[in-house]
Amino acid sequence: MNIVVCIKQVPDVPNIRMDKERMTIIRDGVESIINPNDCVALDAALDLRGREGGGITVISMGPPQSEEALREALAYGADRAILLTDPVFAGADTLATSHVLARAIGMLDPIPDLILCGTQTIDSDTGHVGPQVAEELNLPMVSNVIEIHLEDGYLTVKRVHDGFLDTIRIKRPALLTISREMHKPRHLSLADLESAFSNQGILRMGHRELGLSPDEVGFSGSATWVQKLHRPPPKRKGEVLTGTPQFLVEEIIRRLEFLSIIDEEGDNE
Amino acid sequence: MNRQYEGIWIFGDYRNYFQNRVTLQLLAKGKELAGKLETQVTVLLLGYQVHQYAMEYTAHGAHVVMVVDHPALKDYQAETYTLLVADLVDRYRPEIFLAGATSFGREFFPRLAKRLKTGLSADCVALDVDPEKRLLIQTTPAFGGALLAEVVTPNHRPQMATVHPGIFQELLHNASAIVRVLYPEVEILPDERVQLLRSRREQSRDVKLENAPVVVVGGRGVGTKDHFQMLFELAEILGGEVGATRPAIRAEWAEEERLIGQTGKSVKPKLLITVGTSGALQYTTGIRGAETIIAINRDPHAPIFQMADLGLVGEARTVLELLLRELRKRV
Repeated sequence: MNIVVCIKQVPDVPNIRMDKERMTIIRDGVESIINPNDCVALDAALDLRGREGGGITVISMGPPQSEEALREALAYGADRAILLTDPVFAGADTLATSHVLARAIGMLDPIPDLILCGTQTIDSDTGHVGPQVAEELNLPMVSNVIEIHLEDGYLTVKRVHDGFLDTIRIKRPALLTISREMHKPRHLSLADLESAFSNQGILRMGHRELGLSPDEVGFSGSATWVQKLHRPPPKRKGEVLTGTPQFLVEEIIRRLEFLSIIDEEGDNE
Repeated sequence: MNRQYEGIWIFGDYRNYFQNRVTLQLLAKGKELAGKLETQVTVLLLGYQVHQYAMEYTAHGAHVVMVVDHPALKDYQAETYTLLVADLVDRYRPEIFLAGATSFGREFFPRLAKRLKTGLSADCVALDVDPEKRLLIQTTPAFGGALLAEVVTPNHRPQMATVHPGIFQELLHNASAIVRVLYPEVEILPDERVQLLRSRREQSRDVKLENAPVVVVGGRGVGTKDHFQMLFELAEILGGEVGATRPAIRAEWAEEERLIGQTGKSVKPKLLITVGTSGALQYTTGIRGAETIIAINRDPHAPIFQMADLGLVGEARTVLELLLRELRKRV
């Protein structure tokens, strides 16, 4: 089966620092990684390829340095990598991003049976790109998948959704977003290691190769824009207390009483 | 162009109704925004035998309820709903369309926004309007909540947003409210490519944790599995639930369902007590909404103290033992 995995290179968010004056993220010296949820999707693709054979294409829209993420994906075992990069792609919201990705995926030969995405990125947090690529390609989609069973022309998947465990049968070709909870340890087979060392080129495509005009992509092709980025207002001016355990516990109890979580002693006398 | 669109729509997400109050919360906020825009709030209700919800929405602030009641809509289904709702939006042209950021909302609304070729922001934590420009100002978290982005959709309609449950306060039930109910003629085309074979309720712990008035969270600093057990006792005495950070779950002191943070749950309890947690960003994004945060950590420089209303520098185990002893006396 032919699987496409969409990945995004993101800053390593937990280690990110803020420039408090300019209210921006300091990217210098912060590592870029493959979005962790996309790694789970890639693992799922490797597992499926192990079961049914076929090929895995990883695809990403980003600046030229996103090539690093694609190389890493190839080392993990993807067969082919495509970087969609072009200055006019910059400033894209998910509407424009999904348009570029969908266009590229639609041009792939062979046509994919399955497109896998992570549920959301750790920088933009929207989770929109998977559903929007599915909509543009007119594909059925299931999100938050935790289990995949392969059938002829179909997939049966399990997913958790608003407190329900759903079992869904979906016709191929389809798009799935893979839940973080599906993370399985990956076994690097000999074949995987071989492909990691083979010399692979990464195909680069810009707006012209995709047959897109500049106003359908990037900032021009977006519907939303960020007019302000700010730190959440610091709501809490907490005091930090040190002292004996007895003292600390008394303070906790005082606060619990104040919040009416427990009754004050002597109330019921 | 923007004048042709008017009104605020809210998607009626009624599944899990008693715990899932997000539609009612959006109704309250929608009404406030509608007041500023001098327009009305319509709730869109799709399903099968769902009139009870129409009545609930009436009592909680809707001006109009639009109902499509049909057996083919019995189960939530993103592809089927997208076609149907896109058609309704084209016909009725709301300027703003809101949905709760439930799992379904986050799957359905992006498809719909794409089909309508309009803008959508995700999981908003605040909404406001600019009445002159009739712009919806959408505040959404970015970088796991480290930053807030103010997003607008200037040239496309409707302006769509999903909203984090628990942000807005629902209005009180008003039994004497009257509403206009519309039953639009629609064509329903179920998407045969997707079939729901089985759906069963998961353990209700997910819902319990997210709705608990008190949450006690343990991190690596708690030390051992035995010490972690004290958190369960503490939670029980205080009428709450227990959560955990990723290191605690990796150490198998608590199950995965109790994970709080960027890849786990977000909780907004009245009181959150966080013990032995350093305050890593991927954890704290899950607790920002708590009303009061008490933090216990032996490191006075732990970042968690920047997020706490009350910080206590001490050994987790010692403080917990003593705290439990005191609380047991009072029970």
